[in-house]
Amino acid sequence: MRRFERRSWLPTRLREQLDQRGRGDARASAGLAPALLSGPALLASGVLAIRWALIVWMAILAVSGASALPPPEVRVVVWLLVVAVAAAHTAWRPGWSPLLLLVDLVVAVLVAVTGVRYPAFATVYPAMTALHWGAALGVGGGSIAGGLIGVVLFVARLQPSAIPQPPGFGVTVRAGADVVNLVLAGGGLGYVATLLRRSASSVRAAQDAELRARERAARLTERESLGRQIHDSVLQVLAMVHKRGRELGELDTVPATQVTQLAELAAAQERTLRALILRVPDEPAVDDRQVSLRTALEDAAAQVGGEVDIEVAAVGESSLPVHQVEQIRAAVEQALRNVVQHAQATRAWVFVDDEDTAVVVSVRDDGRGFVYDESQLRADGKYGLLRSICGRITELGGSTHVDTAPGRGTELQMRVPRPDDDTSAERSERAVRE
Amino acid sequence: MPSASDHRRSDRPASAQPPDGTEQRSPHGTAPSSDAGSARRTDPPVRVLVVDDHPLWRDGVRADIEADGRARVVAEASDTDTAISAALRERPDLVLIDLNMPGLPGTTAIRRISDQLPDTRLLVLSASAAEPDVLEAVKAGASGYLLKSATGAELTRAVQQVASGEPVFSASLAALLLGEFRRVAAGGDHDEQQLSDRETEVLKHVARGYAYQEIADRLVISVRTVQNHVQSILRKLQLNSRYELMRYAIHRGMDREDD
Repeated sequence: MRRFERRSWLPTRLREQLDQRGRGDARASAGLAPALLSGPALLASGVLAIRWALIVWMAILAVSGASALPPPEVRVVVWLLVVAVAAAHTAWRPGWSPLLLLVDLVVAVLVAVTGVRYPAFATVYPAMTALHWGAALGVGGGSIAGGLIGVVLFVARLQPSAIPQPPGFGVTVRAGADVVNLVLAGGGLGYVATLLRRSASSVRAAQDAELRARERAARLTERESLGRQIHDSVLQVLAMVHKRGRELGELDTVPATQVTQLAELAAAQERTLRALILRVPDEPAVDDRQVSLRTALEDAAAQVGGEVDIEVAAVGESSLPVHQVEQIRAAVEQALRNVVQHAQATRAWVFVDDEDTAVVVSVRDDGRGFVYDESQLRADGKYGLLRSICGRITELGGSTHVDTAPGRGTELQMRVPRPDDDTSAERSERAVRE
Repeated sequence: MPSASDHRRSDRPASAQPPDGTEQRSPHGTAPSSDAGSARRTDPPVRVLVVDDHPLWRDGVRADIEADGRARVVAEASDTDTAISAALRERPDLVLIDLNMPGLPGTTAIRRISDQLPDTRLLVLSASAAEPDVLEAVKAGASGYLLKSATGAELTRAVQQVASGEPVFSASLAALLLGEFRRVAAGGDHDEQQLSDRETEVLKHVARGYAYQEIADRLVISVRTVQNHVQSILRKLQLNSRYELMRYAIHRGMDREDD
């Protein structure tokens, strides 16, 4: 699509309109919208088809050597120009360019003037140009093109070389009739094109409104479900903590474990509630196919619990397709359980980062570490767990790396490449929305 | 959970500590060495302003930080306006402030106090860890963030750390900062400060849960260098925030920073 920005000699508003028109028609006829929306482009294609048929007819006429036509060299040149214009129009489909339209107009005038005696040249071919201008530029464009050619034709017809004597009224009228014809043709089709464009934009507006309404409904449902979840889990536990706390307060000696349990309960609900809250976006929902990896991992960490304090740090939401998130979540949950059961750690961290082409997750603990010797681990029967974690990641096309040593804690790094069709442009757009 | 050091277990008796005494698994930003610690004990106690709209919390905090005598609460406030005027009057070393209070938002108080009292440190204390709030508070001038569910020991440690000029970065906060600096870099404004490669390395390590000593070992630099990097990161963040505010104000056609 030619851009009009560099055409500084065009007034700005006209430039913008032309640009928009050209792009709009192209997008429409590229099949991205219902058939109704590609109206103007369809019209132009129809005109083009007739144009090609006419070219064949003009070739036949030119070859048959009708006497009143200009000499063969002129005929060939004109015919070649006509073919060139038609070919250019065909190549430029579904859009159009102003330069091409102007060239089209000039060639049409040329054809009209050289073949002034033959309707095929004088009026039918120029009518194609006028029609094309109408389809591309609307009523105004079509009428202007038709009028211009018509006037030139009129003047050419009344030349002394064309008619022997000064024209009478009847001859003048007949000569001028074609001006009206051409203007009507160009303007008429232009009007149709304008109508089609207007109805296309109102359909699009209606579709947008519908989409927004659907999003709003989805968000409301999400809010309702959130309210239910909070009621079901968090409020119940809060009530229990309240009750239990009061009961413990009435005892003479308060068992420490029970108090710690209460604290754990409250902490677990704190985490759950936070995760729930952070998950509800105010902006339009993320694409259905993708879910937030960060939320999934926060859930996983909340579920593992136990003696180890787990902290989830994420740079962003890291949205990925559902199945990938599930696998990574399972792997991280296994790794965390591993830490709780074997590492003798006090703390663990899950770090989620978004690189351009991949998502990186690291699970680290401050436990006792181990010697990462595969054969030894297999002999001890401890290889299975590690392998299932790494297995899940390699299934996703990713890689894992274990960094550990006795007394130095353990870090498990997982790297999962993003799906190919997920360009960074889309992702940053989503990130802005999140 | 962006708490400075939410580890109940590390308050175990010394026998549970690893033989290598210098590796402390606790806060990110360990008290440098016991020598500096004992020197600080003879320093005058840290003067603290406590800002929170729940009197019970204020009492609890006071009890916690005055327990070892290294800090003293010189004033209290229960809303933003009183907090600002109390800070200007008392000039405390440290302000402990909750973000959710009546009146102007807590971040406004943080910005005002850090603008007018550059030597006063701010530490945010909050019940929820809503992340936009965390980031805004740190950008506005806070040196760190602590959940209210932190223990007394964690609180006193954080107080001493922040008062001595060191930020209290949790892994989550580090991750947030990474995201923030990336946003700045993507914005393409060359006047905004960006992290150096080294600083990004350090920040990523903090986000993954490494303590300063461990980071120093991995990157083969000194702990002091790691601390400097962290302080530089915080400074850049807060500079960028001021710059953005100024640009916003100018853009709006005003010639004074808006409240």
